[in-house]
Amino acid sequence: MSKIQEVKTKVEEGKAKIVPGLVQEALDEGNKAEDILQAMVEAMSIVGNKFSAGEIFVPEMLVAAKAMSKGVEVLKPHLVSGSSSSLGTCIIGTVAGDLHDIGKNLVAMMIESAGFTVIDLGVDVPKEKFIQAVNQNEDVKLVACSGLLTTTMPAMKETVNALKTSGLKGFKVIVGGAPVTPEFASEIGADGYAADAGGAAIKAKELVIA
Amino acid sequence: MLTKRENLLETIRGGKPDRFVNQFEFLELIYEVPSDAEPIMPGKESLTPWGVTYRWPEGQLGGFPVHDEEHIVLKDITEWEKYVKAPSVIFPEERWEPAIKHANSVDRKDKYVTVFVAPGLFEMTHHLMRMENALTSYYEEPEKMHDLIKYLTEWELEYARTLCDHLHPDAIFHHDDWGSAISTFISPDMFAEFFLDSAKQIYGYYKDHGVKLVIHHSDSYAATLVPYMIEMGIDIWQGTMSTNDIPDLIEKYGGQISFMGGIDSGVVDKEGWTPELIESVVRKECTECGTHYFIPNAIQGLPMSTFPGVYQCIDEKIDLMSVGPGMPPAGGPGMPPAGGPGMPPAGGLK
Repeated sequence: MSKIQEVKTKVEEGKAKIVPGLVQEALDEGNKAEDILQAMVEAMSIVGNKFSAGEIFVPEMLVAAKAMSKGVEVLKPHLVSGSSSSLGTCIIGTVAGDLHDIGKNLVAMMIESAGFTVIDLGVDVPKEKFIQAVNQNEDVKLVACSGLLTTTMPAMKETVNALKTSGLKGFKVIVGGAPVTPEFASEIGADGYAADAGGAAIKAKELVIA
Repeated sequence: MLTKRENLLETIRGGKPDRFVNQFEFLELIYEVPSDAEPIMPGKESLTPWGVTYRWPEGQLGGFPVHDEEHIVLKDITEWEKYVKAPSVIFPEERWEPAIKHANSVDRKDKYVTVFVAPGLFEMTHHLMRMENALTSYYEEPEKMHDLIKYLTEWELEYARTLCDHLHPDAIFHHDDWGSAISTFISPDMFAEFFLDSAKQIYGYYKDHGVKLVIHHSDSYAATLVPYMIEMGIDIWQGTMSTNDIPDLIEKYGGQISFMGGIDSGVVDKEGWTPELIESVVRKECTECGTHYFIPNAIQGLPMSTFPGVYQCIDEKIDLMSVGPGMPPAGGPGMPPAGGPGMPPAGGLK
């Protein structure tokens, strides 16, 4: 097994203590930082697919994401400027009135693993704060709105509408959460919908590359 | 006509219920149990005796723990003993009087005197330390998580002791959400490793001290945990979402455990709800699931709804399903109607 393959396997297995050492070994062997990063991105893609398929659960996703994060810390000084976030910036938050964060946090991790720079606004985020974040951050390509409660779906609708009528351009909006359906996403004018964190990363890339 | 308690027993034993059990009707929840928790109110924050802060945004369904750096209780699992202090379960006897009076007023031939305990062990771990920290710690610090869960279990057992000593409950309604709408939060293996023994201890204590019925709330998908629910002594899983394929669960596990739910609150308990919507959902679930091992119920964890009138409407529609030709066969399609030829006429049982 090549060192890069080993890195990929250990990220997938969530071995956060082992991955940094393996990444350094891969670099020492002469592998390009970008290739090692790509292997970790692929590992997280596999993790996302397994999560969507119900083969693994939230703890396994979290430890895999942590393993990748530790690996990226070792890679950062070696990466060509900008290559670690070549897909752009994603603003993410749970909409106003909703304090649930685990789903949003999983999506944030998966989207970051896919190659975005993620700005996490937290929970109970008013629409004005989403707009402010788009305004204040560079290269915003995606805004992701999360909501778990049926009672916060109006807030999601208002947020998407506010983003779309703000005059700000250059980004797409993706929504998700337990009560959200593709039909609701379409109805409120979102550009995309994802049923879970794995799907969100795939959809995020599709929206940005399209 | 069978009493509510008798009808419940017929339902969960696969006997001859004469009507659908109607949501929580068979439980008399004793809410007056003494507690030092601050009341949770819309638009406010409140503190539990464990030090967890809940915030209830105005206009929303309920409170949720706050986990910013200022409010998080358990900052480092490796030093959990420093942060987690179990509250006392000892209260002056006069503070028990309202609960005892209520419990003593209940006709136990009709209903189960029921104590409500929340949050459960799994919820406590993430209420104390934030969900990601808890879930990651199962892998990174398993021994510390076992120690924490053991500490929480000891508190639950102490609490069980004082509840049983004072109220002699017939049933316990215990709240612990184990998953989302489509998945459990942790794998069944991890669940068994960390929680099964503790849950067996807790539910075993209650059953050794007079409790006849253990009802566990988890408004989620949790079909993969049903074998463990049976092993730990749960009689009724309340909050069974429709995502669990309840007819399939009844077929596989009916007789070992019963399922209370089927009516997803997110579908019916919403702005603009209509009686027609509720009737269609109730009819579907009752018809598909039948009267054995199934109690039609909105999955929310208490006998209430967020939007006024929804809970009462569900009650009415369930009663309609129990009248005359509308009632599906007991135990499922093809079985004789519950109550046999003596079925009450259309127009109502009561």
